[in-house]
Amino acid sequence: MSAISNPMDHGHDHGHEPGLHHQYEDMAQQSETYIVGMWTFLVSEVMFFGALFLIYTLYRWNYQLDFYIAHEHLDVKLGAINTTVLLFSSFTMVMAVQSAQLKNRLKVMGYLAVTVLCACTFLVIKYFEYKSKFADHLYPGAGFADDAVKAFGNHALENGHVAVNMNHAQLFYGLYFGMTGLHALHIIVGIGVIISLIRLWFNRANTVIHDYVPTEMVGLYWHFVDLVWIFLFPLFYLMPLPR
Amino acid sequence: MANSAAHTHEHHIVPTFTYVKTLVALIALMILTVAVSYVQIPAIGPISGTVANQVVALAIALVKAFLVVTIFMGVKFGTKLIKLWAILGFIWVLLIFGILGDYTTRKYEMAPSWDSQSDSALPRVAPDEPKMPRTNDLNVKIRD
Repeated sequence: MSAISNPMDHGHDHGHEPGLHHQYEDMAQQSETYIVGMWTFLVSEVMFFGALFLIYTLYRWNYQLDFYIAHEHLDVKLGAINTTVLLFSSFTMVMAVQSAQLKNRLKVMGYLAVTVLCACTFLVIKYFEYKSKFADHLYPGAGFADDAVKAFGNHALENGHVAVNMNHAQLFYGLYFGMTGLHALHIIVGIGVIISLIRLWFNRANTVIHDYVPTEMVGLYWHFVDLVWIFLFPLFYLMPLPR
Repeated sequence: MANSAAHTHEHHIVPTFTYVKTLVALIALMILTVAVSYVQIPAIGPISGTVANQVVALAIALVKAFLVVTIFMGVKFGTKLIKLWAILGFIWVLLIFGILGDYTTRKYEMAPSWDSQSDSALPRVAPDEPKMPRTNDLNVKIRD
């Protein structure tokens, strides 16, 4: 922005690009720097979620049947709807970025608003999922086993005895709430970031109107959140029967 | 570097139809992965049916992830440096998963009496399992 407001900032002759900051040679170099910076952040996020997926893999490998019976209580239909909602929000996000490239301000704001709506829909569905788990006492903690046996029903019993190890079932729900909860936290952060972006576009801020890349960077974050869910959905909702 | 970047990155606007096609493919794959989860794939040689089902589910997830990264995140249209960064992220995940190798080389040990009594948040002692070493074995002086 300083490049526009104060031409004295840089002595060389490419001030004609209004979105160009003075430390960069040209727009291509600036865009590449921005996007590589964003990817560096995303790689750190990949490592963060990667460790959680590793924990999941290890316990799932050891306690296959207990995890399977615990997972039967998740609602595949709601999970599938949520996946669709997130995939669609990724599409509207990418359309917002394309509109930013075409400098169509109203379209950018429209697509971003739809993206926020999808994100809120996701959270509302997630709320109802969590609520039903809490109603059945399927969250880790003291007293889990008695209530969980009732919730699991006949699957948990074998000749009248409890066939599921409740510690392992608790572990499943610990991972479920931990991983989907952290994912939901990323959605909440995303909603905040996208609303700030809408505000910048609404105010015709120089940061966004001369250069589409800041909008693209918010898009990269949003697609990453979608990416995590693409793996969470089959791993938690669509477990194959151990046999 | 700036010149090479300029060729590939400047003013590349992806047509809307490409994005629509990607979205349709992603939703179709989502439906496919749900449908496959209801089918019990039979064992193939040494590979059990469970593993086969899981491999199919993860393969579909990987295709979906590939579509999101290449098209929605625009890595396909990005510079070489951006491609390198995106690939590095997934190499990191593979490195993290290398830790699993450690669990195959040693006995999987549970916390004391983890399995003996299912419903208690209090510390437990299992009757069958070896007791914790007595304090004297650890060369610790017992406080009065």
